[in-house]
Amino acid sequence: MRSAIGAHQDLSSAGVLAIIGLAASLAVAGCHDAQAQAAQSEPSSTTASSAAGPAVSVEPRAKLLPTFPCSSCHQHLKPNPEKRELKEFHTVRNKELHHGDSAAWCYQCHSMANIDRLVIARGDLVTFDEAFLLCGSCHGDKLRDWKLAIHGKTMGHWRGDKIKRSCTGCHNPHAPKFPAIEPEAAPWPPTGMKAH
Amino acid sequence: MTGRDDDQHEGGCGDARSQRRDALVQLRLSKHDSRRDFLKGIAVAGAAIAGGAGCADEHFQKHYKELTDEDKRHVFQRIEQETRAKTGVRVKISDPQPLDGVQFAYALDLSLCNGNRRCAEACARENNLPDEPRFRYIQVLQMERGTVDLERGEHYYEPEKVPQPGKVYLPVQCHHCEKPACIKVCPVGATWREPDGIVVVDYDWCIGCRYCMAACPYFGRRFNFAEPAIRPNRINPEQGYLSNRLRRAGVVEKCTFCLQRTRTGRYPACLEACPTGARKFGDLSDPESEIRVMLERKRVFVLKEDLGTIPRFYYFYT
Repeated sequence: MRSAIGAHQDLSSAGVLAIIGLAASLAVAGCHDAQAQAAQSEPSSTTASSAAGPAVSVEPRAKLLPTFPCSSCHQHLKPNPEKRELKEFHTVRNKELHHGDSAAWCYQCHSMANIDRLVIARGDLVTFDEAFLLCGSCHGDKLRDWKLAIHGKTMGHWRGDKIKRSCTGCHNPHAPKFPAIEPEAAPWPPTGMKAH
Repeated sequence: MTGRDDDQHEGGCGDARSQRRDALVQLRLSKHDSRRDFLKGIAVAGAAIAGGAGCADEHFQKHYKELTDEDKRHVFQRIEQETRAKTGVRVKISDPQPLDGVQFAYALDLSLCNGNRRCAEACARENNLPDEPRFRYIQVLQMERGTVDLERGEHYYEPEKVPQPGKVYLPVQCHHCEKPACIKVCPVGATWREPDGIVVVDYDWCIGCRYCMAACPYFGRRFNFAEPAIRPNRINPEQGYLSNRLRRAGVVEKCTFCLQRTRTGRYPACLEACPTGARKFGDLSDPESEIRVMLERKRVFVLKEDLGTIPRFYYFYT
């Protein structure tokens, strides 16, 4: 089991959020057991706050997923480790999977041992709300910038509580390239004439 | 409701003005010019002024910097009443003051911007920009990939989807320069730089000469050529005196970093609307602010650096 290899890592959600900007919370963020976190029935809250300073929270993901928890179906199924095209369920996901194209498939990111968790590159299990740890295990440069609020979207207050959008808040994890979207209408030239 | 309809509103300033103007025009055109006609004309004009007491108040209103707290209360009340009479919307005029020691700055990640103009639209809603004519504080330039040629930037682009292949996008708005050319040229001092770095306009002091627009190297300012028409249900009732209160024809306006939001600790509307997260905002004087952290780690550039305007608006790539 790959998940056993990565036990007792210091990379927990509390640790990461402390890096985001709360020196005060560094003291309480010790060495958490990633598996212990994964074993919780409810996904852990990704809010870090302290009495002294404003809170930085990461938008949760799991509660936005219509089919979560995955185990509600998968507990009745035996995991099939064979890389294959899905023809019965998740056919849409299958079709739109454009992530590291030929290499990626379900169990590269989803844990086979616990389908309600994600598995990062070195084997730790993380919750769906901590998807940034999974993304960052390959895209380390982006995770570094995201922790510093250089990459990614931050909402709320520049002075006060902030809400950070996690990777999956903007990128579809199965097709992460930001899609082309319709622009808002163009302004008018000052004369009132339409541009040609 | 259009701007012209608003002018017809009984008891409004526009009404009094047009009466006065008509009276004076009649006076000039009168073939049988006589002292009696003249006095009659003056009487009409005088009545028009007396009829619109608010207009007289406005006429003798002092420059923003000379207003006492008491004056401000009167002025804000008058504006609230006028807006109510004109649009039927109950608005709240506020005047948030610069925060101590704060120096605002903005940054934009050009590798993320895809030209969707959500920022410009959110800005228009927050800052009560008119539905008609449609101008925007944020001008998104579309340029050929590999160039940053502002002069050839196209901002009226209207493709079905953005980003278009082979194009890059660069949004431009007021750069809130440390040495703003626009302020130097204003003949009446209607525009100035606040202690927190925000360049503002007193719309009641602006004479509409547009020197500032000619001086600004970034096309950061907009002029109300026509009476701005905004649908009442689109009016944002939380209005700042120096920022998003309703403007009239003949005055210059511009981005104010949403000071009615940012001086209360919130992010500007454009930043919150950006779907790509390209926009960053914060306090330059706080070493732990997002903007400082970014400035210390990324290479940034400003537009037309050689002009020495020292913009507080940085562009970077990740």
